[in-house]
Amino acid sequence: MSTKTPSEADILRPVNNVSKKYFMLFGAAALALGAFLVAWMYQLANGMAVTGLSDWGSGGGVTWGLYIGAFIWWVGIAHGGIILSAAVRLLDMDRYMPVARLAELLTIAGLSAAGFYILVHMGRPDRMVTSVLGHYHITVNNSPLVWDVTVITAYFVLTATYLALTLRYDITRLRDQLPDHFEPFYKVMTLGYTKDEDEVVERMVWWLALAIIIMAPLLLHGGVIPWLFAVLPGMPGWFSAVQGPQFLTIALTSAISGVIIVAAAFRRAYDWDHIMTDDVFRGLLLWLGFFSLLFLWLQLQQNVVGLFKAPVNVGVAQQATLAHPLYQLSMGLVFLTLAFIFAQTIRPSLFSRTRAIVAAFAVLTGTLIEKILFVVEGFFHPTFEIYAATPGEYFPSAIEWLSLVGTTGLVVLIFLVVSKLVPVVELHAVEHLRGDHGHGHDTDESETTKEVKA
Amino acid sequence: MSTDDESFHPLGNEWEGELEEMLDDTEYDSDLGMKMAQDAMRVTKGELSEAEFHEMYHDDVMEEFGVDDRPTEAAYEQAQEEQKGTATRMLEAFEGDGEESRRETMKKMGVGAAAVGLGAWGTVDDGPEANLAAADDHSSYGKVENDGTQLGMVIDLERCDGCLSCVAACQEENQTDQGVNWMYVLDYEEPDGDNSGSRNRLVRPCQHCTDAPCEKVCPTTARHTRDKDGLVLTDYDVCIGCRYCQVACPYGVNYFQWDEPSVSTDEIKQTADDMGMDGDHMTDHRDRWVDSRAPRGVMSKCTMCPTRQDGHMGDEKVGTTACEDACPPEAINFGDMNDPESKPQQYLTNVVQTRAERMVDGQSPNRENVQESYNFLEGDVELLEMEYLEDGDHDEIQAALFIQGELAESELTLEDEELREVVIDIIGDADALAELEDEELGTLADVLLGDASEGDVDSDDLDAANTAIDAVITDAEEGVQAVVDRYESREITPAEVEESLALLDGEEEPWVSEAGITDEGSAQNVLEAYAGGEASTFKLLEDVGTNPNVTYIGNEPGPEAEQVEGPVAYSDIGGTDNRKDVLDEKTVGDAGVSL
Ligand code: SF4
Ligand code: SF4
Repeated sequence: MSTKTPSEADILRPVNNVSKKYFMLFGAAALALGAFLVAWMYQLANGMAVTGLSDWGSGGGVTWGLYIGAFIWWVGIAHGGIILSAAVRLLDMDRYMPVARLAELLTIAGLSAAGFYILVHMGRPDRMVTSVLGHYHITVNNSPLVWDVTVITAYFVLTATYLALTLRYDITRLRDQLPDHFEPFYKVMTLGYTKDEDEVVERMVWWLALAIIIMAPLLLHGGVIPWLFAVLPGMPGWFSAVQGPQFLTIALTSAISGVIIVAAAFRRAYDWDHIMTDDVFRGLLLWLGFFSLLFLWLQLQQNVVGLFKAPVNVGVAQQATLAHPLYQLSMGLVFLTLAFIFAQTIRPSLFSRTRAIVAAFAVLTGTLIEKILFVVEGFFHPTFEIYAATPGEYFPSAIEWLSLVGTTGLVVLIFLVVSKLVPVVELHAVEHLRGDHGHGHDTDESETTKEVKA
Repeated sequence: MSTDDESFHPLGNEWEGELEEMLDDTEYDSDLGMKMAQDAMRVTKGELSEAEFHEMYHDDVMEEFGVDDRPTEAAYEQAQEEQKGTATRMLEAFEGDGEESRRETMKKMGVGAAAVGLGAWGTVDDGPEANLAAADDHSSYGKVENDGTQLGMVIDLERCDGCLSCVAACQEENQTDQGVNWMYVLDYEEPDGDNSGSRNRLVRPCQHCTDAPCEKVCPTTARHTRDKDGLVLTDYDVCIGCRYCQVACPYGVNYFQWDEPSVSTDEIKQTADDMGMDGDHMTDHRDRWVDSRAPRGVMSKCTMCPTRQDGHMGDEKVGTTACEDACPPEAINFGDMNDPESKPQQYLTNVVQTRAERMVDGQSPNRENVQESYNFLEGDVELLEMEYLEDGDHDEIQAALFIQGELAESELTLEDEELREVVIDIIGDADALAELEDEELGTLADVLLGDASEGDVDSDDLDAANTAIDAVITDAEEGVQAVVDRYESREITPAEVEESLALLDGEEEPWVSEAGITDEGSAQNVLEAYAGGEASTFKLLEDVGTNPNVTYIGNEPGPEAEQVEGPVAYSDIGGTDNRKDVLDEKTVGDAGVSL
């Protein structure tokens, strides 16, 4: 463990310094996003035929593919992120305070990527507003897709509010050390701020966190998103009550992995080994192990139920899934990660940050593959599998693959930009790490901090 | 599903146990009930007649219930005059679907018959095999659920030839792209079933479901049900192309417009104008763009031709679809599924009759032909006046009669040259004259016609030629006799079929002679032998709860059925079966592999 004491200067370092490496990364991310934007324009100009998709049935393909798989994956990361951050706040898991804001930013970035995928996936994205909003009052009663869009928007707003509230506190206190050229932004962010609101905000944030945790199983990745699939009886690969919990475990494993990677990147870039300590990584890894276990357990449930003596359609679908090499690869990745995590709990010397990062990448790859395959396999084995062209064929086209690169670029860009605007580690976290997280009232405590600085 | 051999009911032991329990709950003798139930099943299987069944239990029932209200009463009374229908059919008289009414009905109609009746009502939850009792119960379909019009189809799979005419007609009418097979016809095989005998073919339009999942999931209301007639349509101006409808539809009938369609809207409009349509073949009576192929980026599927239904193609096209019009054996019957008088519902009520009517249309020898044959044999009509000749050609007969001197030159309708040709044809076919050159045949003909002298030809040849001429007449006469013989031997000819149809239709004496079909029992047998016995009806994936509005007659594909090649390939009609073959050409970086 580092002996350095975390300071305001530490968390302000990303805001006030730019390096060549930063520009290089920025350039690469922008290029990735730009490349996909061009590809998307091409898709808009030529139609969705540029993808590897087709109609299921006599059309010999799958209706939804990588776009939707990646959409769920990003939403999962996003939803897991906000659940993580809410849990930290709600349960006072102070250990993870330094990564709480990163998790929230991951939510914003993940939702942006997911929202982008909705547009990319559509045949007529230009009609999103008129067609969807125009009939919202009717469709919200039936369409899981409308629920999805509603919930994603709601969570975007919720997370943004949540983030903004905690940022006001930090910006006010650190204003002097923040760059002047963003003055208007800080002005807006701290509009009407009074010290009295701290207490209220803290309570609000707590309630928001509670709301998020309570609604997580229902409205986030445990409900609305899986319902997009789980409620359709014509597709036995999806039609299952286990999808809700299953999606939730995937969301959480993906999000923890995402946070591990982002935290490791920041730690490395800004010498934050005393803020994002190994201890944080060990803790995150343990949680990753726990949710990986749940993930595998629910997969097991699906397989046993689907293979033992299932109705023909369910059996066929499950058999095909289990036999698919990519499914095995995905399960293998998660299983190996789980094995490693357990091993390093028993024998702490097995831990290293690099290994943690490898584990995180393994899980993210595993969940992405699982998600894409989940979508595709649903179409491959519908109940009405009579067509010679079913199961069909599908392989993502170059444009679809590029979308993964592009959205990853988008997420990186969001982190890069935000890190130049505001501290990505909360002031609270630093205060806490420094040990001056008094037992008294937070406001008093931060007041002193401010005075000291002044 | 457990269909145990020892269980009398097709739903198996479990169901039987349940029934027994139900019977125990009632105040009546459950042993008697079970025994009656077993025999009632025998009635549905045809091992026992309804009248016999009624008689067997009449005393017991009177003793137990004090009244014998069983529907078989009617059968008992009508047994002599009407032999069609089964116990199940009789049970329809008792309406009922809820648990309560089942119980009430049970008491009312006698528990034994109830066992059969319940089998029929239990259709919703059971697979096709389970519904032996329900199989014949066509009229349970299309029970009027609402007053409004609900367009749909009754498709007789036993009649479908797999010619793909409907597929082609749909594609032409709606100008859809290659592989966009709104109408799709497929042959299939069951994995371990017997695939030899009956036809395994499916005609698959959109089912225009009453509870359409595609509509339920649509985030824009683009997919909607038209109030006027219950058609499930897509508003091409509203759809955002999310494709959720295609995901939610269990039948795979949706086709997305992945790229620019090959026919422009201008061309569609032009075609509509050229055909004198009262509209552009795209917008329906509400001014919504729901017909013809979809524009890029939105969803399409079978529409059941709203342009026709709205009268834009003339009154005679209202109530028809392009596929229906195109189907040579008339397997597709389109119309209001809520109207018992509609084409599809009428077809359902009388599958065998309707099928037979259509099959026999234009076939010979029909009743008139047989009548004529009788008339000839009785000397009331000349051979040459006969309209129908089974064996013989009017021209040849004319020539032969002329040569035999039975016909005056003035009575000839053939020109000299034609006459000569006909004669050459007749004698040229004779085996004995097969060796002769054309010229020699010509001379022979001239001799026969009196235009040359007998000395010009070999006398053996002349004899053979005369024999051939005589044979024309005798063959024709024998043909006429054969028509009557076949009729009297009750071989199933169109005449018998017509008689049977007329008889069952209530006509008093439709037969040509007493040797024909004179009783309803035989009539029914004739029709079944001719048009196939009443096959069972089904709706696709009924337990998914979509409430489809297409009812099929024929074999229901099982869960493991797999498509095989049909008699006609999609390429034969200029179409494409697997659309992916077309779409792959536009895929950017098509890797040629699959997940
Ligand atoms: S078959 Fe039913 S669910 Fe499928 S598209 Fe037609 S109406 Fe919709
Ligand atoms: S593709 Fe169009 S019609 Fe289908 S669900 Fe989406 S918006 Fe509705």
